[in-house]
Amino acid sequence: MAKSRSISAIMETVTSTSLSHTVGAPVVNRPSVVAVGTIVWLGSEVMFFAGLFAIYFTLRSTSAGLWAFETSKLDVWYALGNTTILVLSSFTCQFGVFAAERLQARATGWKPTQWGMVEWFFLTYAMGAVFVIGQIFEYANLVAEHISISSNSYGSAFYITTGFHGLHVIGGLVAFILVIGRAFSVKTFTHKEAMSAIVVSYYWHFVDVVWIGLFLVIYVLK
Amino acid sequence: MKTNTHLFWILTAFFWGASALYTVWSLLDSFHGYVEWVGTLALALCGALFALIAFFLGRAHSAQGGELPEDIQTADIDDGDTEVGFYSPWSWWPMMVAAGAALVFLGVAIGEWIAFIGAALAFVCIVGWVFEYYRGYFGR
Repeated sequence: MAKSRSISAIMETVTSTSLSHTVGAPVVNRPSVVAVGTIVWLGSEVMFFAGLFAIYFTLRSTSAGLWAFETSKLDVWYALGNTTILVLSSFTCQFGVFAAERLQARATGWKPTQWGMVEWFFLTYAMGAVFVIGQIFEYANLVAEHISISSNSYGSAFYITTGFHGLHVIGGLVAFILVIGRAFSVKTFTHKEAMSAIVVSYYWHFVDVVWIGLFLVIYVLK
Repeated sequence: MKTNTHLFWILTAFFWGASALYTVWSLLDSFHGYVEWVGTLALALCGALFALIAFFLGRAHSAQGGELPEDIQTADIDDGDTEVGFYSPWSWWPMMVAAGAALVFLGVAIGEWIAFIGAALAFVCIVGWVFEYYRGYFGR
């Protein structure tokens, strides 16, 4: 105790800032601020969809008969096909990220193993667009079956949950176009462009996982 | 960064536990007797929120192996003085995106036609913002 007190007495007279770095000190290495910001924002998006799921389950628990009647009109196999396309688009998106991480913007050959980020993201864009178009056709069929957003509480819950998800998919499509545009507008593809590709992939995977949740709740659980 | 990861996993476990407790409690309560979905889902997905951040931090830590100055006993104050992001000192685009978004919400509230103008404005300004440092003097 006496020794430590004498040391602290000495330390009061000197600056506490070390003049030289300690040998072997751990490296200060923060994760990218763009990535952290995106993840925290996606956390807030989780809570946004929590609100939508809460709406769906609350209405479902108060009108079980209506749910049994209306969900029988759903085309589960059609939705499963659409879901598969969206889930596969997450994989193509990830291959685009792998290409971006090796700073390869464009393809060096026709084989998918030689594709760059741009080619993979165009493929992902196409699959996302097919998903949105498929959802539009599904909406048209359901309206023909007399389910609309204002018809009853099932219609409201169905269109608000899947509709907000669809808007997120469309937002992701815009983001893909912007990232592809950035890759086209530079001569050398750098870490900055790769980072924007990576955070767009975070968002795309998030939207994909939300859809898996929605699919299980709306089409499987009913 | 390991400490942050552990804290977020603890919060995840807490909210998932709270969600389970809330569900069981509302089933046992004589005034309820059924699952109250809003609370159950809000608590469960709060857990998902923290799991997302914990998973991300864990992955980031194992990928780059860095330590934050907060976790290093010998760190100096200015070690924590890092880049907080890139903010253009003269850009009008963020303000115009905000104006576009404001017009969309105004349109939803008082008349849909305004929302279409707002969406078009917001889209043009997002493109302007994303490509601001890719054109002119900054083209590379």
